[in-house]
Amino acid sequence: MAVQGVEQTILRDPALFYWILFPISVVMILTGILRHYATVLMNTPPKPPSTLAESRERHALLRGVNLRNHAPAVLDRESFEARKNYLVAGFRDGSFLKDPNNRGQPPANPMTDPQGMEAMMGMLKGNMMMMIPQTLIMSWINAFFSGFVILKLPFPLTIRFKSMLQSGVMTRDLDVRWVSSLSWYFLNLMGLQSVFGFILGSDNAANQMAQQMGMANPAAMMNPMQPGQDPDKLFLNEAENLEVMEHFCILDGVEERVLRNFAPEVK
Amino acid sequence: MGASADIRDINGSDLISALHLAQQAPVILGPNPMNASSASSTGTAEEYGRIEQLLLACLRTGDDQSAQACLDRLSHRFGPSNERVMGLRGLYQEATAKDRAALEKCLQEYEKILSENPVNVPIMKRRVALLRSLDRPADAIFALIQLLEALPTDAEAWCELADLYQTQGLSSQAIFSLEEALLIAPNSWNIHARLGELLYVSSSSGEDDASRLAGKSVQHFCRSIELCDDYLRGFYGLALATSRMIENEHAGERPSDPPVPSRITLDRLKRFALQRLGEIVQSRSVDDQHWASSRSELIAAKELLNRLAQAQ
Repeated sequence: MAVQGVEQTILRDPALFYWILFPISVVMILTGILRHYATVLMNTPPKPPSTLAESRERHALLRGVNLRNHAPAVLDRESFEARKNYLVAGFRDGSFLKDPNNRGQPPANPMTDPQGMEAMMGMLKGNMMMMIPQTLIMSWINAFFSGFVILKLPFPLTIRFKSMLQSGVMTRDLDVRWVSSLSWYFLNLMGLQSVFGFILGSDNAANQMAQQMGMANPAAMMNPMQPGQDPDKLFLNEAENLEVMEHFCILDGVEERVLRNFAPEVK
Repeated sequence: MGASADIRDINGSDLISALHLAQQAPVILGPNPMNASSASSTGTAEEYGRIEQLLLACLRTGDDQSAQACLDRLSHRFGPSNERVMGLRGLYQEATAKDRAALEKCLQEYEKILSENPVNVPIMKRRVALLRSLDRPADAIFALIQLLEALPTDAEAWCELADLYQTQGLSSQAIFSLEEALLIAPNSWNIHARLGELLYVSSSSGEDDASRLAGKSVQHFCRSIELCDDYLRGFYGLALATSRMIENEHAGERPSDPPVPSRITLDRLKRFALQRLGEIVQSRSVDDQHWASSRSELIAAKELLNRLAQAQ
């Protein structure tokens, strides 16, 4: 065990700082920036619907949700019931579907469905962007710098941090404040997000955020459905939600409410 | 920069602020409008939004040259095949068209674009607007319904459809469309007030459930006042609708009918609306320059106040 109260001293070559600590940090920052630009370049914007029927399929669900959320603020009972019946019937008999004839068939295999394939490729690309640089850098550090103790933290820590700060250095007696090169890599990996935010702007791709297209039409681009999900199931679910909905209207008694809140003195 | 502040409070239907904005076109576009490459490197989404606003303002005020410069810059940045840029170019061509034949040519161009990509929303909207300005409302309504079939969550299109229906005298369809727009944007007080106006108009056209429609119009005016404290149009409509209901003795026919408020409530609402209307007119008349854009509304409100004061 380390002797309590006695400062552990290890003689380090100051070159360790210039040749290990500094390069690792710089390389980590540069890969983060590189990854940001690679993601931006390889990112394909979500495909807009190519036919009117497809667009309808995408938005019909939103219409049901809108009705459910906003009907109390707008509609009286009569028009609410009419809309509810229309939407429920439409959801039930599949008239909002892109292809009503395909109804009830199992959802297309995402491997064969070109649209699903594209989405999967997008995800794959995103994951690759994260995985490949990490693997490369970690093996680089393992090959060249494993086993170095490169810095000493200026504050004491409990023994639990040993596994976090001293990975790659199998020394039981070493004080927790010493940080190994591999751990410095991990600390950088986790802790550089704010540095990227500073360099690249808050919505950078280095922290895996999606880049939005500047001039895209958000309403047309939006796709509430994930690839591989069966829209028919979602529609049936929404129909059920609509059916159990109880109508009330905040317009009932709005006259008295306005008078009470805005004009208590008018009698 | 003064220009950016001006753009933020530019009002769509306000010709005066559009004119102010268009006069700043040379400043915003820079000394050399043709040199688009320098702008494309620094532009953010906000900046291009401003250029788009400027394009619309220039077209409205007849500054076609600056409009062309704006359009060039946008299509230089986003490419001529961007849907929104295509829509803006269509708008520019419509605005600069000399005669009806040129407009027909625009229409053919839109149809060609739509046959290639049927879901080009900006072009679809332009086509509806063009059909409307070519005096073909039935075709415009048909095209708009087609658009809404595919995009039922577009509040702007529902409002336009309501407007089209209203010009054709189809009140109940117009009311339905506006309700649909409100379902998408339930807190927009201007649509509430507009819906109240439509209900008021259709209640005065002598249908059998006039009292129910009038009651609903009062409700929507009340709601728009609730959402926006000093909304002139809301108070104007409320005063008009309540005084009509009191005149026609709609109130209290069937107290069980929920949308028809009692006579006392109507009286109080009317007095409240008139009082607030008077206050608004007074305060805005003092600060004339600031409210210059809504002067016509103010005049109408004054006129209503005089008329109702004489009737009493």
